[in-house]
Amino acid sequence: MSDEAKPSPGDSPGLSNGLVSDSDRRVYQAARSLHPSAVKDLLSLGVCERCVFRLVSVEPFDFDLSSVSASTLRRWLDSGDDEEAAASSEPSCSRVCIVCLGVLQFVFSDARQTMVRSDCGSDYAARITDLVKQEGHEFDSFGLEVSVPSTVMENESSVLLYLKGKYNSEGWVQSEKIISVKDALKVLVLESLKASLGAKSDSSSFHIRLTYSKASDGAQGASETTHERKKRKTDEENGSTCMSENSFQKVYEPCSLSVHCNKMPIFFSGRYFKYSRNVSQTRWIIDDERMGEASVEELIGGNILPACLGDSYKFHAAGREDIDVRMLGSGRPFLIEVQNARKCPSQQSLTEIEEKINNSEKKLVGVKDLKFIGSQCWAMMREGEAEKQKQYAALVWMARPLEEKDIDSISSLKELKILQKTPVRVLHRRSPLERERTIHWMKVEKMKGSSNYFLLHLCTQAGTYIKEFVHGDLGRTSPSMGSILGCRAEIIQLDVTDVKMGDS
Amino acid sequence: MAKNPETDDTMETTKQNQSEEEVEHSDEQKQEDELRSLLLSDIGDLPLSPPSATQVNFVSYFITDFTKPGHDQYIYRHANGLCVIGLAPTHIAFKDEGGITNIDFNVGKSDRSVLKVSGKRKKNAMRSESNTALCKVSTAKDSYIVRCCVKGSLLEVNERLIKQPQLLNSSADREGYIAIIMPTRPADWTKNKESLITLEEYKAKKEVSL
Repeated sequence: MSDEAKPSPGDSPGLSNGLVSDSDRRVYQAARSLHPSAVKDLLSLGVCERCVFRLVSVEPFDFDLSSVSASTLRRWLDSGDDEEAAASSEPSCSRVCIVCLGVLQFVFSDARQTMVRSDCGSDYAARITDLVKQEGHEFDSFGLEVSVPSTVMENESSVLLYLKGKYNSEGWVQSEKIISVKDALKVLVLESLKASLGAKSDSSSFHIRLTYSKASDGAQGASETTHERKKRKTDEENGSTCMSENSFQKVYEPCSLSVHCNKMPIFFSGRYFKYSRNVSQTRWIIDDERMGEASVEELIGGNILPACLGDSYKFHAAGREDIDVRMLGSGRPFLIEVQNARKCPSQQSLTEIEEKINNSEKKLVGVKDLKFIGSQCWAMMREGEAEKQKQYAALVWMARPLEEKDIDSISSLKELKILQKTPVRVLHRRSPLERERTIHWMKVEKMKGSSNYFLLHLCTQAGTYIKEFVHGDLGRTSPSMGSILGCRAEIIQLDVTDVKMGDS
Repeated sequence: MAKNPETDDTMETTKQNQSEEEVEHSDEQKQEDELRSLLLSDIGDLPLSPPSATQVNFVSYFITDFTKPGHDQYIYRHANGLCVIGLAPTHIAFKDEGGITNIDFNVGKSDRSVLKVSGKRKKNAMRSESNTALCKVSTAKDSYIVRCCVKGSLLEVNERLIKQPQLLNSSADREGYIAIIMPTRPADWTKNKESLITLEEYKAKKEVSL
């Protein structure tokens, strides 16, 4: 091997086998081009190698830096005073950067407060991957979010102030183009993270959040104490110079890192039936006591949540019925929203859940058409609300026997307008208003056992209080079944027989 | 006789559609039948005279000889705390010939019938004490003051009585109710309750069979 071919330590990245990758060469050359005394200054203050690159370099900070270890970078930055560098007493690996507090050094304290180090980006990505896998999510794409303590920004400002003060006359300090610590970390780690997680990166419904927090109050880094800030301000006013090297305290503890994964809520839709007169729609607790035997919300949501391995669920329905009213016919549309689901159950599992609910011993509730639904879920819900018609069957008692003329007069009423004052039973929590509603049609079915009873089938506008329409609510709903018949009328029980939606 | 395969196919499909429609019809019919059986199977006894909505949803209380002899009133309290106030059957106004002919809500400092209570928080409701005057009912012979009996917010008065005072004579316990009051604090109601008597006590006291 001739002398020319042999790489000399000062001029090249100096890999042992003589081979150099393109990206490494680029980084090496960028390192050599940095202002040497500024670099030396910053390194001796305690700024880490990657932060030096961020703050001083005119080259964009990019992924090439990821594969270069801190010690190699250090070697390339040191400007040929190899003996001095070798003689410096403090080994660089024990110092934590006074600007980024270890974030860009790939160093952090874990949950057990042990310091964890990684040499290069891919190694760091592997550690993060382990933490992500602990959360148990299934995903094929993710969005990466990073959160760093606010003191990092303050530290950076202080160091820049120092640089400006010392080197401003030379005109190369460019504070506007400096990439933030957060963005720098993403640049260094994202590609490797994509590879080790086996997923794409996009602004998806699944987010991985890396939260760095200060180890303790002592690890403040370069930022000034209040006293120092006041002193600096008065110094400026007096025209004297700003930050001195002595303002920067050393940092010994890196940030602690916690990794959280969160998936945006997923939705399931279906229709439910309520066969019991002792089951409320949602969980209903008064004074620590549950009202009713169970709730539709818990019977359905409680079966879906475990299949999703989610944190919690919310139940939304297109309208509601009282606890003592059954929901029959085509069922009422509902949505189950699951927070932070770890996995999405298949249609097969959903069908099994549906069968389990429908075949349960007590038969309190039934479910139909349970399926996964995407962003159109809210449009579907809205369809079932205010504009729609509802159909009911009410068992009505009247004070005198039913006659043929009653049946005729009732069936002949089409699009009957009624005025309902807010029923007394809800007046405590609703506005006192007078609401106009329409009864579209009514049909009377005689009861075999008695002529004082009949089954009233009716189709009404959404938002009509049926019970109050029958008994009149002390005359506050008018006309009422009682006023139409000319005698007292009472409602014995009520069933919802159809909730009409746009699609059926 | 060669069959035209195309027409044969179409005939087959039409038949299939028809039978599909029939299946759909009978599916719908099945659903309707299921619904009917669900509706009818749930009906239990049909008692001759079931309890009224008022009896089911309210607890009845009475106060007798309130501030003056013969001034008997009812307080129907709903599970949600609201109280419906009205004249009890033994009120002396009913003993006058011709019954009640007029009602006037303009008593005390303001006309109670022009209240405009709005919103869930019941803004602008008049605060009442138990002896606050509610209205004045008049017969041919005399007029009598009706009082709130309950401390709380006056949510509404039955303004239908102004045009139809005979409702008081025909159904004082339903369409002839006078006002609805919401006790502001649970403590207020507990204190109020001490001066009230139950339905049984009322019947016994007045020796009335209701």
